[in-house]
Amino acid sequence: MATAATAPALPHTGYKSESGVWSWLTTVDHKRIGALYLYTALLWFLIGGLEAMMIRIQLQGPNGRFVSAETYNQLFTMHGTTMIFLVIMPLSAAFFNLLIPLQIGARDVAFPRLNAFSYWVYLFGSIFMNASWLIKAAPDGGWFGYVPLTSTYSPGLNIDFWMLGLQILGVSSLAAAFNFITTVINLRAPGMHFMRMPIFTWMAFIVQFLLVLAFPVITIALVFLQFDRFFGTQFYEAAAGADPLLWQHLFWIFGHPEVYILVLPAFGLVSEILPTFSRKPLFGYPVMVYSGILIAFLGFGVWAHHMFAVGMGPIADTLFAVTTMLIGIPTGVKIFNWIFTMWGGDLRFTTAMKFAIGLVGLFTIGGISGVMHASPPADLQQTDTYFIVAHFHYVLFGGSMMGLFGGVYYYYPKLTGRMLSEKLGTWHFWLAFIGMNLTFMPMHWSGLMGMPRRTWVYDAGQGLEVFNLMSSIGAYIQAVSVMIFVWNLWSSRKRGAVAGNDPWGAPTLEWSIPSPPPEYNFATIPTVTSRYPLWDRKSAEPGAPAGGRVPSAKELGIPMPNPSIWPLFVALFMTFMFASLLLIHLGKTPFAIAGIITFAFLMTLSLYRWLLTPLEDEH
Amino acid sequence: MPAESRLRRLVTAALTAAVASLIAGCVQNPNSVFHHRTDFNRDVGSLFELLIWLGTIVFIFTEGMLLWAIVKYRSRPGKPHQPEQVHGNTRLEILWTVIPAVVLAIIAVPTVQTIFKTQGAARADALQVEVTGHQWWWEFRYPQYGVATANELYLPIGRTVSFALKTHDVIHSFWIPALGGKRDLVNNRTNHIWFTPDSTTEEAFNGFCAEYCGTSHANMRFKAFTVTSEEFASWIAHQQSPALVIPALGAPPTPPPANATKATKAPTKTTTATATQTQAQPAPVQAGFVSFARERMPHHAIPQTPLPPGLTFDTTLVGDASRGGMLVATGLCTGCHTIKGVPTMQAQTGPDLTHVGSRLTIAAGLFPNDTRHLAAWIKNSRAMKPGIQMPTMGKGQYDPIVKSTLTIGFTDQQIADIVAYLQALK
Repeated sequence: MATAATAPALPHTGYKSESGVWSWLTTVDHKRIGALYLYTALLWFLIGGLEAMMIRIQLQGPNGRFVSAETYNQLFTMHGTTMIFLVIMPLSAAFFNLLIPLQIGARDVAFPRLNAFSYWVYLFGSIFMNASWLIKAAPDGGWFGYVPLTSTYSPGLNIDFWMLGLQILGVSSLAAAFNFITTVINLRAPGMHFMRMPIFTWMAFIVQFLLVLAFPVITIALVFLQFDRFFGTQFYEAAAGADPLLWQHLFWIFGHPEVYILVLPAFGLVSEILPTFSRKPLFGYPVMVYSGILIAFLGFGVWAHHMFAVGMGPIADTLFAVTTMLIGIPTGVKIFNWIFTMWGGDLRFTTAMKFAIGLVGLFTIGGISGVMHASPPADLQQTDTYFIVAHFHYVLFGGSMMGLFGGVYYYYPKLTGRMLSEKLGTWHFWLAFIGMNLTFMPMHWSGLMGMPRRTWVYDAGQGLEVFNLMSSIGAYIQAVSVMIFVWNLWSSRKRGAVAGNDPWGAPTLEWSIPSPPPEYNFATIPTVTSRYPLWDRKSAEPGAPAGGRVPSAKELGIPMPNPSIWPLFVALFMTFMFASLLLIHLGKTPFAIAGIITFAFLMTLSLYRWLLTPLEDEH
Repeated sequence: MPAESRLRRLVTAALTAAVASLIAGCVQNPNSVFHHRTDFNRDVGSLFELLIWLGTIVFIFTEGMLLWAIVKYRSRPGKPHQPEQVHGNTRLEILWTVIPAVVLAIIAVPTVQTIFKTQGAARADALQVEVTGHQWWWEFRYPQYGVATANELYLPIGRTVSFALKTHDVIHSFWIPALGGKRDLVNNRTNHIWFTPDSTTEEAFNGFCAEYCGTSHANMRFKAFTVTSEEFASWIAHQQSPALVIPALGAPPTPPPANATKATKAPTKTTTATATQTQAQPAPVQAGFVSFARERMPHHAIPQTPLPPGLTFDTTLVGDASRGGMLVATGLCTGCHTIKGVPTMQAQTGPDLTHVGSRLTIAAGLFPNDTRHLAAWIKNSRAMKPGIQMPTMGKGQYDPIVKSTLTIGFTDQQIADIVAYLQALK
């Protein structure tokens, strides 16, 4: 950036945020919580990636013996669970936190301490679930946890960790969802009516409703499982006549909207990135909003397409085939609107732009294979094979992760005040792109050539060796790309070029304030008159120069919420309360009861301290 | 321009990958879903063809437009940096709502037709096979003939076979990719799938469990053999006959089928399965057909699973089938297995062993059924197939589930005896 070269060494002077561990433990600032989400999720991304690498080493050749069958089953279960619940969802949450208040011109989210609570629950829940590795009892029932394998036939602690971990994480997601819904509805700046809201905030808003509607379903399903496992109920007990398809229906009523929970935030990020680097407004903004709503709505009516092989009968198969195909239409509309956002533009291929284009290109492939298994008879030859593994990695890596990587490159300057290295970013993108395709494209073939999913080994001489070797090499290339990314994040923290308010020439409110933003975000709440306030303004006046003095909240007399340690304690005691249940399966029921009561008491106590502390000082 | 060279790299990489996988894909794919050996796979195949063609067209069109936009509208020196601020175009947006809708309708119509065709009732005269999934093996019953077997299916060419699918424990999924789509085995219900194998010659196919079912999910395989109707009739007749029974076991000796008479004497003299095999099985034709000919097994149907290092067996030991029979009929085996005709062998937990000697594989398609593998299996099955119920039985062997070394158990000579007996159970 030309402006960055001449800028002073520090992002800006005057306003200085508090530092130190205590300030992070007690923070209620949405930007800091966003940063915590971001770095925690990236840490789990490395763990989940390590699990993927071990899977690919095991499958590199036929009849591999790198890990045992038991370990392999734990690896693929935890790889899926980690990437979905501990990586993509919290990475999206990082952007919700960082961006929603900034994009709508607010000073924070509606409930700042609840926001901190959501993060701490996520952190403790994720640690709890992964603590299972330490006692060699990592979950091994698949991320979908089908009963009765996960009920009667898994007596160990493995499934308990998975089930309780998901319950804990669900609390985090639900608390955050209500918080963001309230924020978007109540805290928009004057003049920002819904059809002027930035598209990322729109997609985030839709996702919160998906969370609120989908998570109670998995919660109920897990409560049933929990009661079956701990207290001898028979919700899923086949021997007592229960139908194990109950779990499958409940799981996928949650599980399919979950797919859109994972991908819509990335769609939102890409819809911010593409216009900026095309120097053109988003093509068909209203249609993008409506198609997002439609995808979310239809997403609740397609769940049983995960179950075409369970024998639902021709009527149900037909119904779910048709609804599934319908959902392809609004998705296709989004793809074409993105292409036409670029059409006629002045495209600048920054790293963020490369990842955004990567999403458009790769998600399309996932969409096409998705339509292929929307056809039930054809799906009977695809489901539970590597063809499906290929499909959803194009959706979740080619879609979600590409969009989220793009978002990191795009918003890192806003978060830290520093630019990420474009050179390292370019290496990251191309290695990720090539590695990703080399890993997942051959899986289409290995699936159609008869390789079932979730298999610890495959035999030699089945025509699968070449595909698997290619997939493994591709995975190793991806590992290199991730290392470059991590190095880029680390090294740019202090050495990156200074960003200034608006390094990209972007149109939305978050780029009108300093980078990193002061704790109060906006010194005066802006009045919004269009969808692209900065582009409209720029014709009149240039953006504020970088490096100016930013006054503190106190100097401006802006009341800020007080930091509080209590959300952390509530989250911690809640996690311990859940964890106490494990003692039942260790044969120590009295200790379990004592633990639950003690931690419930401590949690309630902490909650009282939280609620009795005023949010802001008197002013 | 860097953008162009990047584009070239992208295209080259994609093409190389695609070509390489195609070449690899054409070499040998015994389990391909595109093998048209049944009516089911042909119906699905034509649907697949439509999906692949439409998918390819959509792919080329969409990615082509994306690449075109990338190349044509990239920022260049001398180009104005303020493009026209287009906010949308209703007509275009209606167009790309309608076109996908039409494409999907083209897919939906044959989809629904195929759903109803493949899920209709099977012909009344179809061969009925009851499939029961167990962790981790397959039980196959032919109720029309009163035959029970495990892990190896025999299907007559040209006759519709209708599978009734059930599970004993967790959910499994029955799948022979080259013959038809999969169908789950779900507790408390019976699922169905049917197809008509119509290969021109006898063939061997690999089958799999396709639904994750626990530790040894990957090791829950099976074989399906398509044979002529004459061979099938002969096979059924042989399966209906009770096992060869060692007189010492107290049960009346049963008249074994003609070909099995030779086998009664064979195991006491020879120890290698192949030797037994050649004697027991004169020719793979009609009368006397007891199993798919071992020498005709295609490479892909012969399991290649390596034995665990350290699990060895001296195959030169000569086993005694009578002594082996006593060990089987009075020992641990009685707890789980059936051998028809042996009074002590009536348990249903494990696979039916009545004709285990005529099977080509053991451990649910995981190992070939020869002396070396069968002996190793009896010695330490848990080291060969993780998580299974069948106990480790060889003296001095390490049981990976109990996590201890056995101080009692079968000696190698006893195992050789047991193997001799099992191999005699043609």
